[in-house]
Amino acid sequence: MRLIRSEFLKIRTTNVWWLFALGAIGLLVLAFAINALNMHFGVLQPPAEAGQQMDPESAAALAALAEPVALTSYMVTSGQYFGLMFVMLLGIITVTNEFHHQTATTTFLATPHRTSVILAKAAAGSIFGLVLWLVTTALTVPATAIFLNAEGVTPMLGDGDVIRAVLLNGLAYALWALIGIGIGVLIRSQIGATITAMVVYTVGTVAVSIIINVLTNLLDWDWLADVQWAMPSLASGLMTSGTSLPGQPDYWVGALVLVGWAVVTGLVGTLLTRSRDVS
Amino acid sequence: MGNVITDGEIVVSGLTKHYKQVKAVDGLSFTIQPGRVTGFLGPNGAGKTTTLRMILNLVSPTAGTATIGGSRYADLAEPLHAVGAVLEASSAHKGRTGRNHLRVVCAAAGLPDSRADEALELVGLTPAAKRKFKGYSLGMRQRLGIAAAMLGDPRVLILDEPANGLDPEGIRWMRDLLQKLAGEGRTILVSSHLLSEMELLADDVVIIAAGRLVAQGTVAEVIGKAGTAGTVRVRTPHPDTLLGALDGIGSSHGDDGALLLTGVTAEQVGDAALRAGVAIHELVTERPDLERVFLDLTAGKEAIR
Ligand SMILES: Nc1ncnc2c1ncn2[C@@H]1O[C@H](COP(=O)(O)OP(=O)(O)OP(=O)(O)O)[C@@H](O)[C@H]1O
Ligand SMILES: [Mg+2]
Repeated sequence: MRLIRSEFLKIRTTNVWWLFALGAIGLLVLAFAINALNMHFGVLQPPAEAGQQMDPESAAALAALAEPVALTSYMVTSGQYFGLMFVMLLGIITVTNEFHHQTATTTFLATPHRTSVILAKAAAGSIFGLVLWLVTTALTVPATAIFLNAEGVTPMLGDGDVIRAVLLNGLAYALWALIGIGIGVLIRSQIGATITAMVVYTVGTVAVSIIINVLTNLLDWDWLADVQWAMPSLASGLMTSGTSLPGQPDYWVGALVLVGWAVVTGLVGTLLTRSRDVS
Repeated sequence: MGNVITDGEIVVSGLTKHYKQVKAVDGLSFTIQPGRVTGFLGPNGAGKTTTLRMILNLVSPTAGTATIGGSRYADLAEPLHAVGAVLEASSAHKGRTGRNHLRVVCAAAGLPDSRADEALELVGLTPAAKRKFKGYSLGMRQRLGIAAAMLGDPRVLILDEPANGLDPEGIRWMRDLLQKLAGEGRTILVSSHLLSEMELLADDVVIIAAGRLVAQGTVAEVIGKAGTAGTVRVRTPHPDTLLGALDGIGSSHGDDGALLLTGVTAEQVGDAALRAGVAIHELVTERPDLERVFLDLTAGKEAIR
């Protein structure tokens, strides 16, 4: 418990946390606006000519997304993309700071049980993630209600599937701190770790998606398309979709994938930290 | 769970650390007594820092063990209450204030925040408590490190070149502090290159070179045993007559023309001069100091490997 307090104090006594929180909230507003426009023009009022050209699969997906439950889940979990990235970055920084500022010695002198240190970092990072999720959700819930009412759709905020999506979104916010910690242990350089993680998170996800889509179409292997859900960022989005959309695995697949990533990165990080010399 | 220590003896036994290129520490064994200041000496690259880090469970030994009060560091119930350490390459977050740095440590060790302020007071950093670490001078950083080590009121203090960056007043302050702490029965192990300072500060010394033990004992013992005999320095207008009266004694000439004699006492030289009727203008015994002994003991051991 006192270790978590210590780790929290480390976060609180530097500027990073509020810069990240500010960045995450700022990008949340942007993300909500983009999602709203997207829904308004793309899903709720699909252009007539586009509707005619669309293949039946995509049309079905669009129609499913237009269902109030799916729509509500989609809007209420807005901001996830950037929010998770900031939680990951915070996780990275809690670890790389120890090397960058040479405080690892002090930390491990106070707590020679290194596993406890990693657990405390995971707890502190996850709490930060959950607080960010709470604030985000507190903003998206009323915004979603207002937007959907304006569109003439009844917001389904009380629906079981929507509530599940919101709660799983919280889980994602907590788990990404762990992924960040694992990355931080693997790449000890602060700049190296943050840049690598951001590039992989943004460009990497898109690149893998594109490559998989191209390969799927080229080789005609349908199962290949499902491989993309193994990516943690896409899995996070998947697990917070309210209803299963056609052409997508169920939400729990996403949850399992993400938990798997968090466990693996957390374990690797802990084992490495335990065996490494601190000098 | 975890051991509470009742005495502060440090026992290093067969401690070894091999890196890919170099045997940094090679079968090192020694014991450090409580209630005394022990100087830990050795040329650059001798393996001092590596040894201290192995004692503190920061570097894992290739072989051998190190215990403090009978426990390995990792087995101590409240490590900061038992051991305080000031190490090289240990620092604070640049953007954190000195006080917050100590509070983070207090939180981890289960100590009240008030200990942070007391430790700052002890090292004279109270005026800079709320300034960020990046604005600290070298000596202030070193003092913050000492403050962090003192937070848990430890029975054992381990310091790696703590005098680095301290001003003369600071060095003096640290000497008094360490001697006072040793007087209270604590164990003080301090590595340093400042041999004259060590001669003033330390009761015991452990000297290593190339990862191996070279000498251990009280300062006087080590100087006495080293075989670096004392020389007698004598100045006389008739050196040849005097040498004749002392027959068979090794001698050389100092820079200023004085005779440097080994293997005799000043009394013997004075008596011989009286018998020979030779005038003496200067007669002193020059005791070897720690620096002389250190250089003799570590000579020939390849230093930086
Ligand atoms: N992490 C490491 N990897 C490889 N070699 C190392 C490592 N740490 C230390 N060494 C080597 O081990 C030897 C002992 O180093 P150490 O830092 O213990 O010496 P020291 O006695 O503290 O020297 P100094 O007086 O210069 O501080 C050196 O040759 C050094 O190059
Ligand atoms: Mg050293």
